[in-house]
Amino acid sequence: MDTESDSPQGITSSADRMVGMEHSEVRYFTSYDHHGIHEEMLKDDVRTRSYRDSIYQNRHIFKDKVVLDVGCGTGILSMFAARAGAKHVIGVDMSSIIEKARQIVDVNGLSDKITLLQGKMEEVNLPFPKVDIIISEWMGYFLLYESMLDTVLYARDTYLNPGGLIFPDKATMYVAGIEDGDYKDDKIGFWDNVYGFDYSPMKEIALNEPLVDTVEMKALVTDPCAIITFDLNTVTAADLAFKVPYALTAKRPDFIHALIAWFDIEFSACHKPIHFSTGPHAKYTHWKQTVFYLRDVLTVEEEERVTGWVENRPNDKNKRDLDISISYKFETPDATRAAEGGCFYRM
Amino acid sequence: MSSSNVNPPVGESFPDSHSVSDSSDSSNEEGWEDVEPDEESQPVVGLFTDQIFPDARSMLKECKGKYNFDLLKIQKDLDLDFLDNIKLVNYVRTQVKKGNNTPDVSSKSNFEDDVYLKPVLEDDALLYSLDDLADEQGEDAVPATETNRQVLELQENLERLQNQFSEYRLAVQKSMDDQLSKEDDKLAESNPQPSAKAVDRLQDAEDGYFVSYAYNGIHESMLKDTIRTDAYRDFVYENKNVFKDKVVLDVGCGTGILSMFCAKAGAKKVIAVDNSNIIDRAKEIVHDNGLGDVITCIRGKIEEVTLPVEKVDIIISEWMGYGLLFEAMFDSVIYARDRYLAPNGLMAPSHATLRLAPYADPDFIASHISFWNNVYGFKMDSMLHKIYDEAVVRSTQPSTIVGGSQIFLTLPLHTITVEELSFLKEFQVTLNQDVDALDGWAIWFDIFFMPSRESVLPEDAIPSDMRKKGIVSFTTGPDGIETHWQQTILLIDHAKDQAKGGSQALKKGQVITGKIGYEKTEKGSRGVDISVQWESDSNEKGVQLWSLQ
Repeated sequence: MDTESDSPQGITSSADRMVGMEHSEVRYFTSYDHHGIHEEMLKDDVRTRSYRDSIYQNRHIFKDKVVLDVGCGTGILSMFAARAGAKHVIGVDMSSIIEKARQIVDVNGLSDKITLLQGKMEEVNLPFPKVDIIISEWMGYFLLYESMLDTVLYARDTYLNPGGLIFPDKATMYVAGIEDGDYKDDKIGFWDNVYGFDYSPMKEIALNEPLVDTVEMKALVTDPCAIITFDLNTVTAADLAFKVPYALTAKRPDFIHALIAWFDIEFSACHKPIHFSTGPHAKYTHWKQTVFYLRDVLTVEEEERVTGWVENRPNDKNKRDLDISISYKFETPDATRAAEGGCFYRM
Repeated sequence: MSSSNVNPPVGESFPDSHSVSDSSDSSNEEGWEDVEPDEESQPVVGLFTDQIFPDARSMLKECKGKYNFDLLKIQKDLDLDFLDNIKLVNYVRTQVKKGNNTPDVSSKSNFEDDVYLKPVLEDDALLYSLDDLADEQGEDAVPATETNRQVLELQENLERLQNQFSEYRLAVQKSMDDQLSKEDDKLAESNPQPSAKAVDRLQDAEDGYFVSYAYNGIHESMLKDTIRTDAYRDFVYENKNVFKDKVVLDVGCGTGILSMFCAKAGAKKVIAVDNSNIIDRAKEIVHDNGLGDVITCIRGKIEEVTLPVEKVDIIISEWMGYGLLFEAMFDSVIYARDRYLAPNGLMAPSHATLRLAPYADPDFIASHISFWNNVYGFKMDSMLHKIYDEAVVRSTQPSTIVGGSQIFLTLPLHTITVEELSFLKEFQVTLNQDVDALDGWAIWFDIFFMPSRESVLPEDAIPSDMRKKGIVSFTTGPDGIETHWQQTILLIDHAKDQAKGGSQALKKGQVITGKIGYEKTEKGSRGVDISVQWESDSNEKGVQLWSLQ
């Protein structure tokens, strides 16, 4: 599901909430989730402000245009577009949140500018045969987890006029290596001794779950490496399954316990391009970073390189789940430190 | 470092722990060819060492020579079928892993537990070679001249092998499916949203075998809730005399931690029951910790399973939900007590108390309620529509509790009945500070472990006081260290009373009296409806209903 409608980012966030302690301010267990998830989205200032700026700063682009908001949630992007002078905005969302969106749009006096439709993009009937601009906040954890990108691509292929614009239109994924001994021990090593008992059957499962969490900049041991860029104007659904190489260079002698992944988003159709990053160097976003623990601990010296592959594909049975494989190869003349391996993850 | 390492060559690969369910992908050669080498000679890890052998035959030869372990002979002697063989290998690997190099393979019963269906090693090539080995043995007997017959036989063997293997996959898959579905049940109790998602995961389980079930996190957070887990541990370990040689029933055992505490404390027998398929993990964990002789894990509802004993001496259970009674698991504990507890048996914990206190938190109201009045220049307060209908579970600061708390229900676990869990009780609280508005009510519970069923819980018992008297107890209130239960907050909808003047400031020392009620949400769900009716001596009054779901 999209990030702003009824499905919170599922499993990880509910697990987070159970652990919950460090984020107690915005964590609720019960049905307040319905509100809480939207509150978290809207309060993600980096996210919401980037959309707002990319729309408000480009009134000349939006003026008198027909705009489609894919996965409109509470309708905030639709309202931005309407205020920016769009001729008409169509917001589509599967979730019942759209009833709230209707009330909100009404209260803000934009009902005649915005049409809200509940249903699947593939099934709803739009009041316009074609649209000039598609706006969507489709990104999930690890960019693609529970993402709505395939729906956006369907909308593009079906409704976007030739020469039409997509906001945002570029997404780039990055990986880097981090030192994370303490937390790895807390998450993985924990199962070795639980109140004096061996809990190793739980350990294997823990290793195979990527962790969504904030990573401090100082934990980075390597330079980041861009692994893939999606241009929404041209990308196809098939491209979302990929296998790409990476190469990371250590910036200091340290240990690598995990690779992390994040993404940057660009609104290149703007008069002056707007972008934001969800990386560890940038301001907090609710997407945080995604942590993939490696089986080995890599002991690296400055300027040494770790190479490997990241493979991602939607799960055959549930397209919103991802099967991710990460291989790593650390070659060094010092045979005691060389390592090679890989791990499978599902999120 | 040579430059060729910058981009790993296409086809470089890595161990693929998913290879069973992904075998169909082996046609996609890129990157996987090293993983799925020639069927003929899969490297095999030794049964008794970490040494890698080029194939299963050479490995078994070494086992026979060095460790006097003849797998093929055992297969024959015990008349093992395909699944038995798999279990045998995993059993031996488990034993060796624990340091036992002479596993007892005299009887099939030693490794008949389904636990051994789960591979100890990822991609254990030995498991896939088992039938080849058996066949190779037979091959010697086939006259070389009967080529045609041999081909036919091989074809038959191949077919049989395929069938058996799919049977194996089904068995493993079924166990995964069960596990997932039960996890889903559990999840559905605590959060209705991921359950839809979890249904998808269930379908996923068709992939079987290697499925990362994401709900590890729940068990992790339970175990890491040290207030909770420490209390159970302390009670059991500090009262070994109580547990020694006793029969204990653990209702809703989860990963089995409480059962293992009891076993370590000297219980004669522990029966661990859980309707969730986490029980499969519990079985493994119990086994890995050498407590398999004491602890019996049973999957199912306590109302439906057959226990191996008529009565038990102690029932231990961690049944508490949000607001204490959300999840309705306590009904099952009461059932277990009435059905299985011996007349002088002990409940652990023995008492629970529910408390209520007045709540005022202007910061929370500002950041989560007023927020919706202006979101990037838009009015979005229709998002607030339902917030007052639903109880909020969150962690509150002690400073938000603006009056003394009062116990509104005491639950003596030895005697309380299911009927008593729906109630309407009176309360009276006194404000201990001035507030601009009463924002709501905070509810939490305290848990006590009295060491005998005769012990009486003092009125107005407080865990910190009781601990000084040597009674293991804990609070989930805002004054204690945070637990995963946090507190349950009932926010007052003052807008509803707008006609009556909305919220009003209240003074220190003012008394509020009222009634609080708990009712099960109708649909027979696990939810609870909580009602509060209140009135202050300054005419601040109201009545409101919240659901905890």
